[in-house]
Amino acid sequence: MSDALSAEAVRLLALLPVEAQGWKGDGADQAFDRETIFEYIDGSGEVFRAFDMRLLVSRRYKNPGRADVVIDFFDMGSSADAFGVFSHDLEGEDWGLGQGSLYKGGLLQFWRGRYFVSLFAESENPETTAVLAEMGKAVAAAAGPDGPKPDLVGFVPEKWRGGQVRYFHNPQILNYHFYVGSENVLNLGPEAAGVLAIIGAKAEKRACLIVRYKDEAGAEAARTGFLRVYSPETIAPETAGERAQGLIRLKDGRFAAAGRAGRFFCAVFGEPAADSALAAWKEAAADLE
Amino acid sequence: MKVKKLTRRDFLKTAVVVPVASTFGCSCLSCPKPAPAAPAAAGTARITSISRKSRVVLVRDAAAVGENRAINAAVVQKMLDDAVMTLFGETNPVSAWKRIVGPGDTVGIKTNIWNYLPTGKELEDAIRGRILEAGVPAERIAIRDRGVLDDPIFQQATVLINARPARVHYWSGMGSCLKNYIMFVPKPSAYHDDACADLGAIWKLPPVKDRTRLNILSMLTPQYHNIGPRGFSEKYLWTYGGLIVGQDVVAVDATGYSIIRAKRLEVFGEDKPLETSAHHIQLADTRHGLGKSKPEDIELIRLGWTENILI
Repeated sequence: MSDALSAEAVRLLALLPVEAQGWKGDGADQAFDRETIFEYIDGSGEVFRAFDMRLLVSRRYKNPGRADVVIDFFDMGSSADAFGVFSHDLEGEDWGLGQGSLYKGGLLQFWRGRYFVSLFAESENPETTAVLAEMGKAVAAAAGPDGPKPDLVGFVPEKWRGGQVRYFHNPQILNYHFYVGSENVLNLGPEAAGVLAIIGAKAEKRACLIVRYKDEAGAEAARTGFLRVYSPETIAPETAGERAQGLIRLKDGRFAAAGRAGRFFCAVFGEPAADSALAAWKEAAADLE
Repeated sequence: MKVKKLTRRDFLKTAVVVPVASTFGCSCLSCPKPAPAAPAAAGTARITSISRKSRVVLVRDAAAVGENRAINAAVVQKMLDDAVMTLFGETNPVSAWKRIVGPGDTVGIKTNIWNYLPTGKELEDAIRGRILEAGVPAERIAIRDRGVLDDPIFQQATVLINARPARVHYWSGMGSCLKNYIMFVPKPSAYHDDACADLGAIWKLPPVKDRTRLNILSMLTPQYHNIGPRGFSEKYLWTYGGLIVGQDVVAVDATGYSIIRAKRLEVFGEDKPLETSAHHIQLADTRHGLGKSKPEDIELIRLGWTENILI
């Protein structure tokens, strides 16, 4: 934590309410950067670092006899990363705030522009839910204007757009949602971001993964690396010829297909047959040149 | 119980496969009651392993946790006593503690102060009380989480006791006893790669190497799912009323991890596995040789309440 709040931290704190419905800021506002975030957040600090977090300001609100409420306001550096960190956890009820919001279990989260905001009540009850709603509305209004989603989201094929779409550039974030392998075989990083779209559930679950590289060589390296080491525990015995063609038989009887399209790597998972896997891949790759 | 004779070959096999077992006094009591330990005053009393399995005690009591997550200190004390007595094959809790600490020891109790789900004063006091009764002077006992590297008692500790609550963890998969030692390194984030895969390496660093005599994973109100930056919601705590106790930290964590996974399966169904793999537990076994992670290598002894035990 910084001893003296920076001018930028002060500016961000000014976007937060001073009080609402009897809850008042406790006067001990805090600010953290990429290095000091672990002093404040145990566990998910790396999630925010994985999305290039720049600054976090935090204010705790107290109301005697009631649970505390905490607002954590993150400057993610870009609207793409604000969307990315929001898309990391897509459980909950849409409260219609900002450019996307979700509520569950005393936690309200939303993103707007380059900001990701978490409002947390340490105990969930009708009073804390009401104050979260009021505070959330105020902060969402103050956090404007809107910013664009990552342009990669626009490459997700129509078929997958109705599902959960996530943006990332860190391999562990990808593995969190869809396990590819312990190595960073896709060479994800600052210059290689991706989107993952998932539709269906359980036996019907299908996924489409798209990663964009600086050049075709990068995409080709990802393709070969992926086909070499992709999650072997999920792969059924298959012929080398099939894999060379980018077709992977999975142990559950379904199929995946993977390949390069220009400077993109693309893979689809969970198709019921080899033909449909290849067709789904072609459809997904059609606009990726 | 039939006593299995330990051959030289058995001993060598055990020593080769799990060299740390002897280092940590091993958790293995699956076979006969171990030979009486050296006098506690020596401060080096250890259990002698004659089994390849690591003994882990899971003790539960429905009365351990009351309304609003209030912890019943007396019940927790009894649970801890029962577990430690069973672990060491003793009939008296102080005798059992004398197997691991004595008047000559300096003891650091590595706790966890995460404000939403700390180890808790009740369990800390239960541990500290028995260490005092085992003869360790109060001035040579410290309980601490952050700042252990700068704490003179921890710096001089001849014995470490490791106690923390179990919870899912965004980056490591599980907040485990293994992970509780991350405060023994100057820069904890240096161990964050690949979901904290190499937490086991910390256990071989000078501040902790060879010093841990007991691991206590509190399963009183574990957290089976996390949300948001803080990784906490009351909604995802459940009253399990348990403690998992053992000398093999890997076996203790593997047991806790199994229970948390079973709880997630019960609540979410098969479509929601733990998001981040807690493979640091397995790797502490297979990569770092710190203990045993496979169920077949763990002798799990269940004591007390069995309803919804999940393992």
